[in-house]
Amino acid sequence: MNRFWRLMLACLLLAALLPLVADRYTLFVGNAMLVQVILAVGLNLLVGYAGLLAFVNGALFGVGAYAVALLRDTLHVPYWLALPAAGVVAMIVGVTVALPALRLSGLYLALATIAFAQFALWAFMHWDPLTGGPSGIKVLPIEFSPLPISSGLGFYYLSLLVAAAICWLTRNLLRSRIGRAFVAIRESETAAESMAIDVTRTKTLAYALAALYAGIAGGLFAPLLGLVVPESYDLFQVVFQFAMVVVGGLGSLAGAVLGAALMVWLQEGLRAFKDLQEIAFGGLILLTVLFLPGGVAGLLRNRLGWREPLRRPVPRGLMRPR
Amino acid sequence: MSIAFGGVVALDRVDLAVADGVIHGIIGPNGAGKTTLLNVITGIARPDTGDILLHGSSIVGLKANLIAAAGIRRTFQTSLLCKGMTVLENVMAGLHVKLRAGMLAAALGLRAVWRDEQDAADAAHAALDYVGAGALAERDGGELSFGQQRIVEIARALVSEPRVLLLDEPAVGLSPDRVTQLDALLRRIRDDRGVTIIMIEHVIRLVVDVCDRITVMSSGRPIAEGTADEVTRNTEVIEAYLGSALNAVDRRA
Repeated sequence: MNRFWRLMLACLLLAALLPLVADRYTLFVGNAMLVQVILAVGLNLLVGYAGLLAFVNGALFGVGAYAVALLRDTLHVPYWLALPAAGVVAMIVGVTVALPALRLSGLYLALATIAFAQFALWAFMHWDPLTGGPSGIKVLPIEFSPLPISSGLGFYYLSLLVAAAICWLTRNLLRSRIGRAFVAIRESETAAESMAIDVTRTKTLAYALAALYAGIAGGLFAPLLGLVVPESYDLFQVVFQFAMVVVGGLGSLAGAVLGAALMVWLQEGLRAFKDLQEIAFGGLILLTVLFLPGGVAGLLRNRLGWREPLRRPVPRGLMRPR
Repeated sequence: MSIAFGGVVALDRVDLAVADGVIHGIIGPNGAGKTTLLNVITGIARPDTGDILLHGSSIVGLKANLIAAAGIRRTFQTSLLCKGMTVLENVMAGLHVKLRAGMLAAALGLRAVWRDEQDAADAAHAALDYVGAGALAERDGGELSFGQQRIVEIARALVSEPRVLLLDEPAVGLSPDRVTQLDALLRRIRDDRGVTIIMIEHVIRLVVDVCDRITVMSSGRPIAEGTADEVTRNTEVIEAYLGSALNAVDRRA
């Protein structure tokens, strides 16, 4: 087992044992970390691996949250159905936005997606009959009634299960031909095409996955917070998400996990200084870009020499019996 | 195989037929339209009029990735290996369409996907060994020298077992020793694998030595075609291009 897996397993073990020692507040923070891990993994797929500078994830996180709130608390759809549905709704919205935006790249893509993010925020704010306007929608906590565990603890383990599953599926995807296609289009679309990679299709796939993850994260976040309000999904959320993937390490799965945990921890530390948060996270992105371009994961890669899903050695001649 | 064009802006009524299993050189001064010709063949640029035939069927207007999937692979004048992947993974990326794993199967890490991946890794190792770059397999694609990148690019194209290989100035930045190795490699690719090679090159020594046929281009038009002997004796060619190129070689020597 290589260092990558040992670190990931250590994280998993730590996360699994946290409830034994944590009070309610710490458990909530841990749970928020797990939700942000899912978001960061999705955004890193889109920005870090596929190289698409898009700012849709904050809004799609919101779409997932509103979807769960509406499905479950208004239409009384059971949560086990509402949660994946939230992911699918966000994916449909995300791909619908992506299809025209896919023709754009670089700065134009960034601008078009920021426009969408602002539009979505406006819709959350003003589409009162659906979103409840600025005061939002109340969301009931999830009960695990047949099981003898409290709502908070059960929801923590549910989030852990979903986050771990998403990390595992993403890691498999990244080490397949699809992960290589993401990196290929990031480095050069022309070169990717000449390797027979369908650029439009690969980009759409990256969008769809990032949107699906954001929707699921939103679907977990809504009952965790107990309330869906527009301000959770504004531009600060976008900055926060970029801080996670940039500080953690663009193009690194482990970086997304570590970055998410680190940023949530920092945000909690800065709770008392609400006005300072935006400056702090913006500044952190800037400092990382300037002085630590590979992020935390890059640092670990250089210091520990660890390997990730891509950049892994594949031993030669490992022939298997057929 | 025959390739025919007509009336591209940078290419003026180019009519070129390349026989199966030969090394066909394209030479000419800068701006003669050589790279444009490769871009048109590979679908990166589209001709205004004219047709491109691969084994008798038209490929003009197809998307670049479909042309590559049909067995026409290329390398670039400025190397385009991906950083953030190992050299081996770069070469494995050349097998993208041969590995058919769907998203779900790949995400679940199904056994069949893993087996195909291992086959792809073996094929990529073999391709790297074949071009003499086996020792580079675990390096990052971005940290290779210019010359190493071009050789790995050839492996990345070859691993997909293409019918046609297009090389855009493969010898740029190579030492004389390396040019000799490239010469031998190109012959092996033609003779062992039956791959048709179309090569743009300024290193005349290599072109004259290895190419079965040579087309000379100037201002978007082919001005001469023939064997190395025929072309180097053609006075129009010497005036338009070779004279200056040979002089440059002499001056360097």
